[in-house]
Amino acid sequence: KIFHLGACRVSMSMTEIRAGFTAIKAKIQSRDPVRTLSILSHPHSLHKVKSSDRCCMAHQLFTFYVDKVFKHCRTEDSFVNRKISSIANSFLSARRKLRQCHEQNNCVCGEESTEKFKQILANYEGLNVTSAAMKSLGELDILLDWMEKSR
Amino acid sequence: SGELYCSLPNPRNVRFESINMKNVLHWSAPEGTGDGVLYKVKYAIYGVGKWIRKPECRNINRTWCDLSSETSDYEEQYYASVKAFLNRTCSDWVETPRFNPLTDTKIDPPMVSVSSTDRSISIILTAPEKWKRSPEEESLSLLQVYPGLQYNVSVLNKKTKKRWFFSISNNTLVVPWLEPGTAYCVSAQIHVSTPLLDSGFSKEYCITTLKDK
Repeated sequence: KIFHLGACRVSMSMTEIRAGFTAIKAKIQSRDPVRTLSILSHPHSLHKVKSSDRCCMAHQLFTFYVDKVFKHCRTEDSFVNRKISSIANSFLSARRKLRQCHEQNNCVCGEESTEKFKQILANYEGLNVTSAAMKSLGELDILLDWMEKSR
Repeated sequence: SGELYCSLPNPRNVRFESINMKNVLHWSAPEGTGDGVLYKVKYAIYGVGKWIRKPECRNINRTWCDLSSETSDYEEQYYASVKAFLNRTCSDWVETPRFNPLTDTKIDPPMVSVSSTDRSISIILTAPEKWKRSPEEESLSLLQVYPGLQYNVSVLNKKTKKRWFFSISNNTLVVPWLEPGTAYCVSAQIHVSTPLLDSGFSKEYCITTLKDK
């Protein structure tokens, strides 16, 4: 699936990523007992990001998941671990494309996406690393829903 | 009010059942309890701090509660919870898994309308609408909710039993080069690739092509 993020075009195997997440969603989300906090969706909703800021927000979020989330999500369940690493690999290649686009100045960060991403990092840092990473992984469908909403 | 001592077994299998984003909370009665059990329900938006009571589902004896109105924003995710009461005792609150209306709903088959000439049939498909509070509320087709929505269409020649399958993105299909005076039956399904959502196939709509001029 090709995503048009401003001037950037990123192809992602969304069906595989979705299938991988669906297979582990219940297990991952059941490890996140904190219902009153969200990393991605509160207080700011991803769905309110302006289209001009979508590319930068996607780049920051993919970097966030690659650098801060997947590596802290090892579990004792090898099935879950395999699915996580498969999703991580898909994110790695998407992040590489977004980085190239960013370096070509086609993925500029506006004030809004900078502010929103700062809030996401604050939400993340408000929890201990493992809880924050597991909660972020459990919210992957929020990111995927946002990506797909207006391809 | 003083909290009762909660020794009643818990409601079981607490979950959302959703069709076209009509989101209804269902559960089974606590094990070993006969009639007379009452329930109350609350729900929460994931990431927001408070539970919200559902007054219409307070002290009810049925084992479902329609939370469609409360969960109609499909950009949010939700939890719901049920507590049982019987003879001055109660159960614990029992929560659903996190509910994402966008990925956790089921979709009805499309509506199918068929017309024919002597050598072709024309099929028009209509995706179901998202649940809405009242008939006056503006309709939202699931086609708008799922931009990648497609239709799988099956066409059966009743005489030869030969069947064709088509996968289309727009909602009309003309099947040419058919035999005059022959019955054809059409059935259709909705397919969304991501998130992966497939409706069942619609019932069959049969039509006979006109006889040769």
